[in-house]
Amino acid sequence: MDEKPGQDRIPDTPLFDRKRSLGGYRINKMAMGLSKPENREAFKQDEGAYLDRFGLTPEEKEAVMTRNWREMVRLGGNLFFILKISAVDPVRITEIGAHQAGMEHDDFLRNRLGKKV
Amino acid sequence: MAKLIGGLGTSHVPSIGAAIDKGLRDTPDWKPFFDGYIPGQDWVQEHKPDVAVVIFNDHGNSFFLDKVPTFAVGCAEEYRPVDEGWGPRAIPPFKGAVDFSWHFIDTLIENRFDPMICQEIEVDHGIQVPMELFWGRPAEWPVRVVPIFVNVIQYPIPLPSRCYEMGRVLRQAIESYPSDERFVVLGTGGLSHQLQGARAGFVNPEADRAFLNDIAIDPEKLANMSREQYVEMFGSEGAELMMWLVMRGAMDHDVEVRHKHYFVPASMTGAGMIVMENKSTASPAVAG
Repeated sequence: MDEKPGQDRIPDTPLFDRKRSLGGYRINKMAMGLSKPENREAFKQDEGAYLDRFGLTPEEKEAVMTRNWREMVRLGGNLFFILKISAVDPVRITEIGAHQAGMEHDDFLRNRLGKKV
Repeated sequence: MAKLIGGLGTSHVPSIGAAIDKGLRDTPDWKPFFDGYIPGQDWVQEHKPDVAVVIFNDHGNSFFLDKVPTFAVGCAEEYRPVDEGWGPRAIPPFKGAVDFSWHFIDTLIENRFDPMICQEIEVDHGIQVPMELFWGRPAEWPVRVVPIFVNVIQYPIPLPSRCYEMGRVLRQAIESYPSDERFVVLGTGGLSHQLQGARAGFVNPEADRAFLNDIAIDPEKLANMSREQYVEMFGSEGAELMMWLVMRGAMDHDVEVRHKHYFVPASMTGAGMIVMENKSTASPAVAG
């Protein structure tokens, strides 16, 4: 079930296949590190230095430091890992969803999740 | 021999655990969701299982991408809550049904299933939330657990039909286990949700309701669907639903549905619950 980025067989639905897993390994490993309290502290103290420990490319670093969730996923980040960034720098998962969908948060809640807001 | 007294299905959304932790159970957003589980909790209270076999996926907490088992079975004395980024949750550790776990692993291998064997492993919301939904927040869990981890994140993920077949082997293991213990099997995950990509926030209540119907009356249909069909119909993370097939595969063809509940959205997910008994051994009918 391998597919080329940008050519999802199911539209707008990135499956976490071999290419994405290989491409996103550094970002995901960095984020996995945040399940340790000492790494969460290091991330808070000096985010750039923490990211460098995992050898992130400038493009990957930029995506993480600007909290560009869509771009992190495009680069192979998987939500289950990169979500741990929100444990250090709180953001709701619905905001992460809205960002990827390119929608305002309230519109996202209303139109995608059927909430009355 | 041991006895299978029921098959339970439920979502395992992490926000459910967070809502309990923050005391949000009775807020307007959550009350209808939690109230729907009361009949399921009553069923568990009444039937008092000794062992719960729980099928779930790890969400990048106990396993990283360096080692990804397609199927893994826990045979530990104890399973502690893992730190998912916010610190381990303050819930009691789960006691393992160690002897049965090994018996199950033996039975799997003899039937050409080759799982990873885990003697020490922490567990995430994938098992925590289902246990809390059916057993509440006891000081100590009144059941011992057998965790079955299924990889539904890193492709290639297993075929839905393979999950269903594993359920058949689970049934064989329970029925050949020399004990008078009472077993329940919990299939967890889903229902429709998608966390990644421009289709994030996708839910499909119609398909979810059909799934809750089909899991009881036509599981073969669900087992014969492709992985792509799951993703298309239930969203990229909704493919978790195939794990319910392990539970269903452990049951008879004919089942009685005791309780069913559906609520959308729990966080970003269509959330569902079902309680089933084999028709052949079902307890006398009560209002469901």
